[in-house]
Amino acid sequence: MAGLAGVGSAVRRTLWPVVAAVGLLTLALVRRNPAYSPAGASIAGVAGVLVPGWALAATGLLTWAKRPSSRSGPLLAAAGISWFATEWNNPGIGSAAAFTVGLIGYGMCPAVVAHAVLSFPSGRLDSSAERLAVGFAYASSFFLLGVLPALFLDPAAQGCSQCPRNLLQTAGSPVVQEHAARTGAALQMAWSLAMVVLAIRRLLRSSPVLRRWKWPVLVAGAGYLGFVAADSERQLIRPVLGYDAWDRRLWFAEASAIVAIGAGVALGWLRGRRTRNKIARLVVDLARSPPTGGLRDVLAETLGDDSLRLAYPLSGGGLVDARGSPLIVDGPATTLVRGGRPMAVLTHRPGLLDDPATAEEVARTAGLVLDNERLQAELSAQLQRLGASRRRIVAAADAARRRLERDLHDGAQQRLVTLLLQVRVIRSRWGPGADPNMLALAGEVETELTCAVNELRQLAHGIFPALLGDEGLAQAVEAFAEGADVPVKIACLEDVRLDPTVEAAAYFVIAESIGRSGAHTATVRMSRSSRLLRLDVELDGGDDAGGKPWILDLEDRVGAVDGRLEVLRTETGFVRIGAEIPCAL
Amino acid sequence: MRIVIADDEVLLRQGLARLLVDAGCEVVGAVGTATELHRLVQLSEPDVALVDIRMPPTYTDEGLVAARQIRETYPGVGVLVLSHHVESRYAMRLLEHHPGGSGYLLKERVSDIAVLADALHRVAAGECVLDPTIVARLLRRPAFPGKLQELTEREREVLGLMAEGRSNRAIAERLFLSQKTVEVHVTHIFTRLGLEVESPDDHRRVLAVLAHLRAR
Repeated sequence: MAGLAGVGSAVRRTLWPVVAAVGLLTLALVRRNPAYSPAGASIAGVAGVLVPGWALAATGLLTWAKRPSSRSGPLLAAAGISWFATEWNNPGIGSAAAFTVGLIGYGMCPAVVAHAVLSFPSGRLDSSAERLAVGFAYASSFFLLGVLPALFLDPAAQGCSQCPRNLLQTAGSPVVQEHAARTGAALQMAWSLAMVVLAIRRLLRSSPVLRRWKWPVLVAGAGYLGFVAADSERQLIRPVLGYDAWDRRLWFAEASAIVAIGAGVALGWLRGRRTRNKIARLVVDLARSPPTGGLRDVLAETLGDDSLRLAYPLSGGGLVDARGSPLIVDGPATTLVRGGRPMAVLTHRPGLLDDPATAEEVARTAGLVLDNERLQAELSAQLQRLGASRRRIVAAADAARRRLERDLHDGAQQRLVTLLLQVRVIRSRWGPGADPNMLALAGEVETELTCAVNELRQLAHGIFPALLGDEGLAQAVEAFAEGADVPVKIACLEDVRLDPTVEAAAYFVIAESIGRSGAHTATVRMSRSSRLLRLDVELDGGDDAGGKPWILDLEDRVGAVDGRLEVLRTETGFVRIGAEIPCAL
Repeated sequence: MRIVIADDEVLLRQGLARLLVDAGCEVVGAVGTATELHRLVQLSEPDVALVDIRMPPTYTDEGLVAARQIRETYPGVGVLVLSHHVESRYAMRLLEHHPGGSGYLLKERVSDIAVLADALHRVAAGECVLDPTIVARLLRRPAFPGKLQELTEREREVLGLMAEGRSNRAIAERLFLSQKTVEVHVTHIFTRLGLEVESPDDHRRVLAVLAHLRAR
């Protein structure tokens, strides 16, 4: 790529003197034999030959230098040179080779200009209709206006004694030559008008930003093609050599339109600079007080696309928004690259950033803020991943506790009850004549087993209250209050099912606060707004709670579900443990 | 008394059946799932179904769900649920819809055949039965000073027996009191606690008493 770019810039640099020389030589040719050129012998004619060709070629070469990735530069330069080429069929050219080239290239200018205009500013044609029209224009200009007439032109036979030799000439046949030229002119008129339509269509389909950029070039180009169509029409009705006043007027009109195209391209540079300044100014404002996600708004406003979204690639793969939430990109997207590294991905309306230069401008001007926001996004994403993993760990621990509780109930406890029953069956089988000692022993076994069943029940309940899983937080807290060692007043409860991890966190905050603090009495309040569960446990008596290991455990548990826990001592001497846990229903 | 048993533990099912037969009951079937239980009840129309609260597939509250369905579909069939849970909430879920003909006992009662047989008979007779341990837990519950503390010891005893689902006559027998005296106690308790019940000797009063005890 670098090698290719090097070759490109070398070609470009050589082209400057070439263009200048070609212009001057063409002018000399026209001046030498003004009868064969619509420019005529006037001073205005000098300007008419030189200015359009040089203007277009110069803007083309400058565009080429500014944006080597765009094909518009070379195309415009070629269009500029093709303007000069229309004059090279002048008999005064002297050289047979140059004369033949002039004969062939005579009709190419409108096709090249149409191509350059229609594909501006990327240099690429969008639709197959455009490609078809441009291809057709090249083909018909080359064969019907260039090669075919040249094959049948015998300059000497047509009375041009000073003409150089026509190298392509096969047989002199003015009839064939004229037919080819007439058909070529008819087709040129047709495709020129078609191109005008395509230019208008392209203008209408562009995004607002690109439209602002393109319209001067497209309008001037459409004007030029209109004049070309009129010119072709005149050649159809009056196919004689030489130029009348109308021909000259049309030629000057074409020349002016081409100058306007060049001016339109130059205007685009100014606009680009203005957009860049605008982005730069907004970015500076943004850098002073950067709200997260602020850059998206700035870019959306500057580029005029509300649907625009900004995504940042993570080093580990994947895309996130400015807040670090994972983003899936669908629809048109442009990657902003800086220093060979992708910085951000813009998703936008189709066509908004068709021109890579705009994306480059954005990457360049918004670079620092982009970098900053991308780092922030990466950090947020990491935090989110960390939070999610923390939550998963707690959820897994809860699930394990719950499984353990079930296993104790359905396994060990069930076994013990069955054992109890079997002892009872044995006892009943012994009947009335049994040994009293054995009966007493069996009775003791029953008592022990009953105790074991009770202890196991308490153990299982402590590990995970079945009611919490079966019926939710409110019922579990009520049951806890029912079995608590101290009076627990439940001031208000919300009887809704929440995420199991949230429910478990809330339950253990209440149960552990009351159970571990050694309070004499406790009051529990629970309320829920649309997204937040609030718990408030007021403890009378007991220890201070603050900084105790069990409080840290609770903080971890609540933190794992993005909540927060605080411990306060009220003026009345109560310890108040409050928790806020985000919850979605 | 014809009984069907539903418990997923085979040994427990067999042992229970044996003890109940010894106690003079007729066990017409024993199954392991709620679905089988429905079929069995439909076929054999027993007096009582003895149902474990946890059964396949989720091992949570299949027994309670099955009990409610049986009470709704076959009003003549009483249901006694055996449960590991000492929390009154599970009992309330069973009793709140059909207090009559429903019972909730802790699972370890299976070894106390006298209590079990008594509960089965009461449920078969359309009474309401609640495990004494659960009632005791509710009465023993530490609470902020309230109306319950204003009751006399004897009144608290009567309240507990009411909560277990006993009728005035049964309470009178148990406490060696005349039925008249029990009625006076009951009226007094209800006035004290501010409870209102249309008929004071009804299984609906169990719900009123339980609601009061649980709500403290």
